[in-house]
Amino acid sequence: MIVGVKDGFKFIGVAVVCACATFVLTFFLNYRLDALAVDAGTLSEEARALYDAQLVSAKITCAVTGGCLALIAAALTVFYVGVYIDSRAQRLGVLKALGYSDGRLAAGFLAFGLSVFVGSAAGHGAGYAFSPIVYRLMSDGLIPLTLRYHTTLTVCLVLLPTALFAALAALCALVKLRRPALSLIRGKAEREKHGKDGRAERSFLRDCMLKTPARSKLLTFFVAIAGFCYGTMLQMSRSMKELSSVTMGAVMLLIGVVLSVTAFALAMTSLTRANAKTVALMRAYGYSLSECGAAVFGGFRLFAYLGFAVGTVYQYGLLKLMTAVVFRGVAGMPAYTFDVKAFFVTFATFLVLYEAAIAFFTYRIGKTPLKNFIAE
Amino acid sequence: MIFAENVTKSYANGRTQTQVLKGVSLEVKKGELAVVLGASGSGKSTLLSVLSGLETPDSGRVVADGEEISAMSEGERTKFRRRAVGFVFQQYFLLPHLTAEKNVKLGADLAKNGSYGEILAAVGLGEKRKKYPSELSGGEQQRVSIARAVAKNPKILFLDEPTGALDEETGRSVIDYLLKLQRERGFTAVMVTHNENLSETADRVIRMNSGKIIAVNQNGRKKSAYEIGW
Repeated sequence: MIVGVKDGFKFIGVAVVCACATFVLTFFLNYRLDALAVDAGTLSEEARALYDAQLVSAKITCAVTGGCLALIAAALTVFYVGVYIDSRAQRLGVLKALGYSDGRLAAGFLAFGLSVFVGSAAGHGAGYAFSPIVYRLMSDGLIPLTLRYHTTLTVCLVLLPTALFAALAALCALVKLRRPALSLIRGKAEREKHGKDGRAERSFLRDCMLKTPARSKLLTFFVAIAGFCYGTMLQMSRSMKELSSVTMGAVMLLIGVVLSVTAFALAMTSLTRANAKTVALMRAYGYSLSECGAAVFGGFRLFAYLGFAVGTVYQYGLLKLMTAVVFRGVAGMPAYTFDVKAFFVTFATFLVLYEAAIAFFTYRIGKTPLKNFIAE
Repeated sequence: MIFAENVTKSYANGRTQTQVLKGVSLEVKKGELAVVLGASGSGKSTLLSVLSGLETPDSGRVVADGEEISAMSEGERTKFRRRAVGFVFQQYFLLPHLTAEKNVKLGADLAKNGSYGEILAAVGLGEKRKKYPSELSGGEQQRVSIARAVAKNPKILFLDEPTGALDEETGRSVIDYLLKLQRERGFTAVMVTHNENLSETADRVIRMNSGKIIAVNQNGRKKSAYEIGW
């Protein structure tokens, strides 16, 4: 088997993102479907305003959350398939040389859909388990709603994504495998596209810092996404205490932490693996551990903080839109202003956690055995 | 310049310990080129790792450039390598995303050596300094790797099978560039190889077998790779 069931489950990052997305989408979409079944004409004026606002809110949240997370999951899929093929290029090359077609090899990658199934099924189940609380919070005792199960949602949120992501994985594999068998067997990397050669006077360390993110665009994207998720979700979660409830705030906090940790850990572990030889060489030459860390991870700092800044602006815009437009007519809705305290607290924790994580990964790259390198 | 006394080194191989170096003692004088010869598994590369401070011996002493590196901590050995040591590897290990010039800067920056361009020219690659490793032949890549090590102004240069991945003709040319640089700059060099032909290019030939030194010979006059008809 080209891709085993076990390999399918290694797709953990996609499973986590799918679980988060399906969790949020399940309770919001289920709420919306159940709410649409209510005869709005029977509601009081106050309840009607809340009802309309919640319908729009559920729609916007689902579009924004679903869209963002689907994009992240798709990027992760492309990344995983690429890494999988690169790390097993020799074996796949031998199979191609033996007569396996690209299509047959790529079909094996459909197994990656398993992770999507596991993640989205778990998120879907958790979403239903959490729904009674959401219904109580969103209806505020004004809208009479009964929680019902909708098969359509299971199809759209679990089965369809499983099929789509399995197909995406196979398609990516098909594109990546379009290399001669010999090139795969030799493990010869495709001719690297070289960007501009930096200024001659620029130091080696500075060159590495600038070139590493440019060479690993997808990993740069994950680092920025980690900053974005952390900045958005954690600041939103604090605002939720006033705008919605502590429970919703806690859910957002949890999702924000899970997403940012997943994206960040994935980027850092991949960078560590990809730069093992560079680091071993630098250490053999006498570069300190902090210099090695700076060469490999230093260039990503800007993107992490940029992601955080965009996340801050995004959450402000989204909450402003929700409170000023969507929930405008709803009684008791407090006016939303930028929460400066939340910003500073979130930024301070981000700064501490980011720098601590970089220190940890720098320590880890120092564990690269130099002897193996010299005897290679 | 380099002095080793009763050096032993073992590695765990599953439940058993394999002793790779069994009481090795040697001396390499300042400015010498020492060639360590031996078959695969004789302990040559481990000896290189220990002499260069990449690893510490289990027992025995290693003194290099007047400092006992066998008694140093990891951090101290890093500083020692930064100050005194250069490396050339069999597989070159050039960074593929950097030009030849920028690869040489990896070494030159540590010594704040602004004249790395001259070293590239000295190994015959002045015209190709803006080329990426994938645009260079194997011999050219190894010459960049030598330039990178020499640009660091090392007191001791360690070479691990520098011609192992090259054909004979290219290997000869690489060794002659190395000898030329050593003559000009006077650094000490320790080269590990299983290529008998290289023994006549050295001042001192150390033969190893099964983790032990079985013979040490000194040559009166070093020859170029072309002179020995290799």
